[in-house]
Amino acid sequence: MSASPLIEIRQLVKRFGDHTVLNGVDLELFAGDIKVVMGPSGCGKSTLLRCLNRLVEPTSGVIRFRGEDITAPGVDVRALRQSIGFVFQQFALCRHLTVLDNVTLGLRKLRGLRRAEAEQKALHELDRLEMASHRDKYPAQISGGQKQRVAIARALAMDPAVVVFDEPTSALDPVMSREVAGLINRLHQEQVTMLCVTHDLVLAQNIADEVIFLDQGVIRAQDSIARLAANHADPQVRAFFGREGFSA
Amino acid sequence: MSFLDILRQLSHGVGYTLLVTLACSVTGLLSGLLIAGSRQLGGAGTALLLDVYTYIFRGIPVLVLLFVVYFGLPGLGLKVAPLLAMMLSLGLIAGAYLAEVFRGALGSVDASEILAATASGMTRGQIFCHIELPQMLRFAVPGMVNEFTTVLKYSPFAYTVGLPEVTKEAMSLVATTHRGIEIYLAVGVVYFAIFRLLMVFIRGLERRFEIPGMRPA
Repeated sequence: MSASPLIEIRQLVKRFGDHTVLNGVDLELFAGDIKVVMGPSGCGKSTLLRCLNRLVEPTSGVIRFRGEDITAPGVDVRALRQSIGFVFQQFALCRHLTVLDNVTLGLRKLRGLRRAEAEQKALHELDRLEMASHRDKYPAQISGGQKQRVAIARALAMDPAVVVFDEPTSALDPVMSREVAGLINRLHQEQVTMLCVTHDLVLAQNIADEVIFLDQGVIRAQDSIARLAANHADPQVRAFFGREGFSA
Repeated sequence: MSFLDILRQLSHGVGYTLLVTLACSVTGLLSGLLIAGSRQLGGAGTALLLDVYTYIFRGIPVLVLLFVVYFGLPGLGLKVAPLLAMMLSLGLIAGAYLAEVFRGALGSVDASEILAATASGMTRGQIFCHIELPQMLRFAVPGMVNEFTTVLKYSPFAYTVGLPEVTKEAMSLVATTHRGIEIYLAVGVVYFAIFRLLMVFIRGLERRFEIPGMRPA
């Protein structure tokens, strides 16, 4: 673990009109870490992720990425976005492109790689995620779990400093959800830095020792799911984490 | 004169009919794409201007605009060739309609794909060229077929500015033979044959670029 965090969030506030979605969030993520943010729908999980790459502009607060305040004016937002791999819940693969072309698109258009170089790199990532044999298929021809693998390969191919997952299993059945959890664990062993927001307790339990509980725009707890379910002082927190029998 | 002789005589005008249809369709396609792309990539002011443009051009009758261009502009010192006059009237009107077809097709591109591309660092232009445009063109095929067919059916207006297309040939033939019913029925057969060829060509293109399982979002 390096001395300074890869991502450091201080007193992050995001308001949409009168509605405060994030109300002073503090978070640190070190290289090689995996952190899971959980919370009820509408608690600000996705907004938190989207502030990281300025898809959503923070109202106030500081986000430091590799020590640089990325909320400051003049930041190269496109370069920032290329350093943060994003995996969405609905996979967001381009339907008109094959599996291989989905992965090479960013490499060719953003990294400037030639087609052959891009394909070599893309095939390496697809192979790593056991999807190379599906290279010529279109998204409609593969399963939900396979689509999520391709989406992860697409993010990894850009060699991002961190991969963020926005509800990666919410569109998947339990079997595919476990597959994705296994994959995230493997990437963690390979020292890929990851931040995941989810309300899937099974996923969270499988990929992280501790979770961060975000509610009404503030972090209210950080502990293991079992301890949060059994011992937390707030009955709402206990209820949230105890809903699928995760008690100590 | 047999029906085949009539068809043979009319065939002299087929080249011009095809030329007018092709030139006006290409003008319409390019101007429609330009409008759709500019509306997508430009600001609110650009979108408003383009909306006004398409609103006006969709409201003007083809023949009126053709006469303004061909007979009106020379009064301002601008002499326009017949084919160019067709492109500036029928072609641009088709473009205004196609721009609306493209707008609908763009709305069918899945917003999550655009969000993911933005999150990866792509520019608005890259997203349009590599994600929106290829899907938009596929989704717009039925609307484009409709518009190209309309262009074919309006192509006889070319005779009013002196282009010897099929209808012009037919009128000359009727003037000398007085066999209007057979000749105009033959004209119908010629247009239907061109229409069928156009369909075969477009369906071939559609099959060539078909993506398994891709439907409008």
